[in-house]
Parts: sequence; structure tokens; C-alpha cells
Amino acid sequence: MLYASFAGAGPLPALGPAFNPATGAWTMAADAAVGSQTLHLSGLQQPVNVTMEADGTTHIVAQTDHDLFLATGYMHARFRLFQMDLLRRQGEGRLSEVVGKAALDSDRFELQLGLLRTAQAEWSAASSRSRLAEIAYAQGVNDRISEAETNHQLPAMFTLLGYQPKPWTPVDSLIVKGDMTQTLNFTDTPLVMALLQKSLGSDLTAQWFTTLPPNPQSPYDPGPYPPGASPAPIAAFSQVTDSEAVAAADAYQRLASLPAGLVASGGDSNNWAVAGFRSTSGGSLMAGDPHLHLTLPAIWYQLTLDSPSYHVSGVSIPGTPVVLIGHNQHISWSLTDAQNQQTFFYLEHEDATHPGQYFWKNAWQKYNTVSYDIPVLGGPTDHLTVKLSVHGPVITERGQTTSVWWAGNIPSQDLDVLLGIDQASNYQQFRDALSGWYSPTHNFVYADDQGNIGLISAGYYPQFAAGQPWLPMPGTGEYDVTGTIPYDLIPQKYNPPDGIIWSANQRQVTPDYPYYIGTASNFFDPGYRANEIHRVLSQATTLSAADMMALQTDTRDYLASEIVPILLQAIPASPSKDLLSSWDYRMEVNSPAATIWWTFWQSYLSATFDPYWKARDVTVARSDVNDALGQDLEAWTLGDQNNAVFKFGGSSNTATDVMRLAFASTVTQLTRQLGADPSTWTWGKVHQRVIENLAQVKGLDYGPRPDRGDANTPLAAPDFPSSNGPSWRMVVDWGKGTFQAIYPGGQSENPASAWYDDRVNAWFDGKYAAMLTADQAAKSGGAISWRLQP
Amino acid sequence: MRVLAAVILALIVSVAGVLAGAWWAPFVAGLAIGFVEPRARVAVPAGAIVGLLAWALPLVAVQLRYGAGASAESLAAIMGFGHQGAIPVILTLVVGLLLGATGAWLGSASRSLISPQLVKG
Repeated sequence: MLYASFAGAGPLPALGPAFNPATGAWTMAADAAVGSQTLHLSGLQQPVNVTMEADGTTHIVAQTDHDLFLATGYMHARFRLFQMDLLRRQGEGRLSEVVGKAALDSDRFELQLGLLRTAQAEWSAASSRSRLAEIAYAQGVNDRISEAETNHQLPAMFTLLGYQPKPWTPVDSLIVKGDMTQTLNFTDTPLVMALLQKSLGSDLTAQWFTTLPPNPQSPYDPGPYPPGASPAPIAAFSQVTDSEAVAAADAYQRLASLPAGLVASGGDSNNWAVAGFRSTSGGSLMAGDPHLHLTLPAIWYQLTLDSPSYHVSGVSIPGTPVVLIGHNQHISWSLTDAQNQQTFFYLEHEDATHPGQYFWKNAWQKYNTVSYDIPVLGGPTDHLTVKLSVHGPVITERGQTTSVWWAGNIPSQDLDVLLGIDQASNYQQFRDALSGWYSPTHNFVYADDQGNIGLISAGYYPQFAAGQPWLPMPGTGEYDVTGTIPYDLIPQKYNPPDGIIWSANQRQVTPDYPYYIGTASNFFDPGYRANEIHRVLSQATTLSAADMMALQTDTRDYLASEIVPILLQAIPASPSKDLLSSWDYRMEVNSPAATIWWTFWQSYLSATFDPYWKARDVTVARSDVNDALGQDLEAWTLGDQNNAVFKFGGSSNTATDVMRLAFASTVTQLTRQLGADPSTWTWGKVHQRVIENLAQVKGLDYGPRPDRGDANTPLAAPDFPSSNGPSWRMVVDWGKGTFQAIYPGGQSENPASAWYDDRVNAWFDGKYAAMLTADQAAKSGGAISWRLQP
Repeated sequence: MRVLAAVILALIVSVAGVLAGAWWAPFVAGLAIGFVEPRARVAVPAGAIVGLLAWALPLVAVQLRYGAGASAESLAAIMGFGHQGAIPVILTLVVGLLLGATGAWLGSASRSLISPQLVKG
């Protein structure tokens, strides 16, 4: 015990400093007690007033822009310092230094991929506006680090892990931005396609994984477009060779073994706007709910920023000095992931007579290399050398050397763009600001105080002179990225005549759009949420903020509304069928029909595709491509029930036959799982939601608890248990001047704080809180005031 | 009297040290007690009491000022004990106790090596 007190033992930290009741982890009790006070911060130019509402929502009023960002950094660090440190360590490949070799694969991958190199390049090219913000922000963070170290107030996780945070730098803020870019836009889909082509076969891959979606969808920008050619359907330009398959399998498995969130796996966000002429208040309406991994602490920190140049309210990501989603005095905005393909793989041509080189544009090129040392807690330092071709970092040398071109590695001044948006007062300024946004590509919805609405899918859309970018391509130069779609021609819409606009990760454009933006499976959403949102918005003649909130918590499964009526015609009478017959397609906790539907759809997918998977020994898990296969199955069920897919092994089955088999299997499975009485098969028994602790401490999770929704509903709740969903819900009514929002979490990362998870129950209940101004907050009950002095 | 005075002095020094971040102060105080009182049967319990109180009093202060319950439950969760808040409290007190006791034992043993006749007396 004495030894453990000094040096720790195994997973135990050094018990002495960790459990010292005055300066160790017990200080989380003092940290949780937040009262009014005056503080002195180094670097401030003028006094700054900070007001915190009873729930910790923070309002910063500064007399200079510099002080605004400095105070923002201080407040972020005061309540989220450990989260910020984790985020930068993840992107910089420095997790192993504090958690040991368990994080080494992640660190090696991140350093290979190049978030650090990109952040450094971005900082070198940063504008004066963003330099001011990021330097002041870093100063504020460092003020807090110094203060916490002096007063023994570092967050308990630092004490327990036995390390102290290094000073914050502007590059760290850009790394945090890079983390988000990666989690939203770095994909492995070309590797998946290569493995499918190799194992499932070119014939079925081409039929089932099409360029354009086979199912009915609701693009928000239906054109007209400039003249040009539409994307070609997927076809096999050549067989995937054995060495290419080995390379694809190696890279695919490597990416699959990384911690969740490092590879984007699809999107589940919503946003929409209603023009003033269609709203009950007469002003425009806007709603946004970005769906992300739900964690405690949340990815968001809610605040308002007031200074001579900024008057903005919304949510920021701790580690960055800007409001990412919110409103100012004239405009509001939110975003969803645009899902266009931003990741491409290149098979480098090498030869034994040219070691360390690759063939590109008719000449042998030498790989660039960069080396890193990765400190590993409890082990030797790991040395990593990254090879870089003209396309990007080499991620595997097994089979055939493969490098990755990722738009996230193009320096993108996103923070400067967001500062521009924070200051914009009309659509032109908003749109101009977004012209510098490259990655991750987002659908930015817009509404303003003049009744205008808009949506623009800002970002980089890689274009090619030749090749099939949904597969790994030869790296010899002919298939390189040649540029992007001109900004004026990317998907966008301003003040559409019907007065509504929406996005939910669906393909934004129709098949007539003349540019390649990705295939149906790479990696746009199947479109069910977008279809449901469009259905609801188009039905009403006028809409209110209450309607926006109802739609954000809508659990109607659009796919079920299409398929269940057909299913009911296919199956014989039974208690389960009766439940489906009277169902409103809502995935509510107490609905047994919801359970039957969801289980049926999984059985239907399995009955249709698993025979092929088994017969051809497909090396990609079917569940990894269920979104694409589901769109096919939906389309065939709605309009091609005699499709050959149903006739596996020479049978004469139709969709009806397979549905009947799948339904019987569903009833058998649910009887075995939940008992003989179908009326007790409620959705809440099989579908739960959990909000996970960011440091993966199970005891600090919220839930799991039964919850409504599924992967297809506007209130998205994919997976079992679901840990993804609406990370922030915001509804704006410019007619009434009301701004309401909520996120599932709390402002503090301290689990002993009342602000750790105090908003979660209200979020589950679909409630919202008013987004107050600083003046309103100061007069609100339970407000806390801080005076920050130079 | 001499031992009691040493214990009180050691306790004051230990608490001050712990509050200042010197979590090992009870160990040093225990060493001093053991040196002053080389009889282990006296020094070790005295050191243990000093160590226990040196860590318990600041913990009591935390409880009185802020409430320690939520912190205890959080620490238990981080340690993998669910929400059994008593466990980190006990662990904290045991660490303090052992620091004081082992310090006193070491001090007592060291003194007995230097002056073995004192232990016999």
C-alpha cells in the first residue's frame, strides 16, 4: 500500500497524490460548487462579465474581441479541460502517453493520417482574424491551467491518471476541428467496395451498390442544374487483383479495429427551415439537430458571446473559440453532414528496381517521409515513420502499397469561416463566408429576421478526369483529383418557392446533377428521415415553432409506412399482424408493433441477402452495408417484386414469399426472446439509449434506459443500445423572436457537479430551454456572476 | 506527556502538509513520532492515528463545505465499484492511516537500530 501510495501499482494511480483529500481527486467536490466571484486573468485588456444561468449556460460580455476569446478559452477550460486534452491528444497521437499501449494503434493511425500536419499547415495560413481569436483563446485556456495547478484544482481525471496538461496552443484548437472532420468525413467505403467486388462479385456489386439511389428520395436541390453528364453507373473497370484485395482487406481491418468515431459511419442529422410566408408567426422558422455520438460530457458547451464585433448565441466545441451552431441578431444556422465522398484510396505502382519510389505521371517519385516518437505509458517510446505519396499518407504496404487522399487533409480555414458566419447579417454574407469551407462538407441551413431561408452544402467535392472513385484507383496520375465543383454549382437553394427546405444527410440533388458527389452507398443516408421531414413540412399550409419541435421528436418510420402495407397483404392473419394493422408507424417505447416491424425488416434483409453472402463467402459483414442493401430491398418491394434477387438457388420466390418467410421467422424469434404474447413485445424492451462517459467509465454513463425512435426516424436512435442521436436541438422563430434549445448532457465534465447530466432527462422528454441573452440571464433565477479582471 | 505533545505537533504538521499538497506529510510525521518514541507498540498506533486524522480532517472539511457524497460516488464509479461511495472514503482513510503507521514503524525501527537500549527500556 505504501508503495502504491508513492508509485501506483498496475492500473492504480499513485494513491497518495490521487486521494489526498485536500489536493487530489476529492477536489471535484469544491470544483462542483460554483458561486459568484471575481477572478484575475493574465492577458485580459479590460474587465469581462460572465453570467452563468442556473444550468451553467454561459454568457460572456467583453469590451474587446480579444478579451471575448480569452474569456471563452478560460470558461471552456474551467469546465471541460480534461475533455479538451483528450480531444487534442486523440488528434495529435498522444493518447498512449497517458493511457498506455492500448491507445497505440489509434495514435499511430492519427499520425499517419495527418491531423497534426494539417493543423500546422492551417495555422501557418490562418487569417489575422482567426489568429487573434485562437491566440487569445489559448491564453485563456492557459490562464485556467496555471490557476488550477496553483490551486490544486485540476480536474480529477488528471490526478487519477497522474499527469498534468501541457499548455494549450492555437494548433491544438485546429486539431480539435480536425477530430470532428475525421469523425464526420473520413470513410473506408472504397475499401468495402473493393472487397465486395472481389468476393461478392462484379455482377452483384454493380447491381446492388449503385451510383444513384434506387429508392425514392427527397433531394432539397432539385435543380435546374448546368448542362453536363450524369454520373455513370458502377461497373467493374477491372477485376480486383489478389494483391489489391489483400491491401484493401488489410486497410479495412485496420480501420475497423480503431476506436469508434475515427472512421465516419454514416450520418443522422436533421435541419430545415420554413420561410416567413409559411409560418404562423410571419417570420422564418429554423430547426437543427445534429446527431453525433452522445457523451458525458457532451461535445457541446452552450454560451453567448458579446463583444464589439460579435453577438452570437449557440453551442461551441470545447477547444475551439467559435459558435458552431446558433444565431446572432439577424441570422440563425445549423448543419448536417453532407455525406459526399471525401476519402479516396490510391494503389501506388512500385517496382523492385526502384525501392522507396512510386510511379506517377510517367516518372519515378520518391516517397516523402516524416517520423514521430510516440511516448507510451509504461513502455518504450514507439517510433513511427510515415510515407507520403503525392496522394497522401501510405496506410498499408501489404499486398499493394495504398495511400489515402482525404479532403480533411486540405488545409481548411473553418474557424475563420465560422467567425465570418458569427458576424454575418444576411444570406450573402453567410454564403460568402462559407466559400472558404472545405471539409467536412456540411449542409448549412439558414434563416433570418427578414423571413428568408436557404441551404448550402458547403465544402470540397473532389472531381476526376477519369476512373471510378468508389474503388481504390491506380496511383499513376490519370485518376487523381483534379479539383472541386465550382462554388456556385454545389448543391444549394435560397428562398425556394414552396417555402421549405430540409436536409437529413440525404443525397442533395437529383440524378440530373452533372457532377460526381459519391455513390448511394458512399455514404449518403438512405433518405427515410429526409422523406419524413419533407412529408410533414409539405402537408401543412402554415407551421409554428411547436411544429418544429414535434418534428424533431417525431418517431414515425418512413420506411415502415411504405413497407408495412405491402407486408400486410403478404402474411396470414395473426395477433402480430393485427398489431401491425393498427400501427401508426411510430417507434414509441410502448409499441409492440414497432418491435415487430424492426425485427421483420432485419429478417427480411437476412432472408434476401444472407444466402448470397454465404454462397460467395463475402468478406464484408452484411451489416456493414445494410443501408445500401436496404435501399435496394425497399425499391424491389415497392416496384419489382419479381426481381431475380429473390430467386436464390433457382427458386421461383417473389418478394411476397420472402416477406412471408421473414415474418414467420420474426414471430418465432420474438416469441423466444420476449414470450408468447405479442402485445407485450414493446419497443422499449429491446431498444435502449445510453449516453456514454467520454473517458469510457461505465459507472459514469447515463442509462441505458428504454427509448423511442430508430435509425430511420427524425428522432434518430440507431443501434442497440443506441449511443448516437440528436446532440443538440434548436428551434428558432424569427417572427416571435424566440430561440429554444437543449442538449443531452450538462455544462461540466465533473461527474460530481449538478451540471454533469442535468439536462438529460429534459432532453429525453423532448423539452427545450429558452436561449437567453446575457441581460436576460443576469435577471434569471439562480444566476451566477463572475467578474474577470486583468 | 512527551509522546502526546509529539503526536499533537505531528498532527498539526501533517494536516498542514496535506492541505498544502504534501500528501506524504503523515509518513514524515510518523517517522518523527517513531524517532521520539522508539517503542513500536506506542509509536505505531500513535502514527496511525496521526495519519488517519491528517487525511480524515480535510475530508471532513470537504464534506462540511461542499458535501463529499457525489464525489465519493463518482470516484467509486471511476474505480469500477459502481456507486459504492464508501469505498473511496475507506480507501482514503486507509492510505492516511498506513502512511502514518508505516512512518512511525520505520522511525521506531531506525531509532532502535541506533539506540537499541531505549527499546528495551
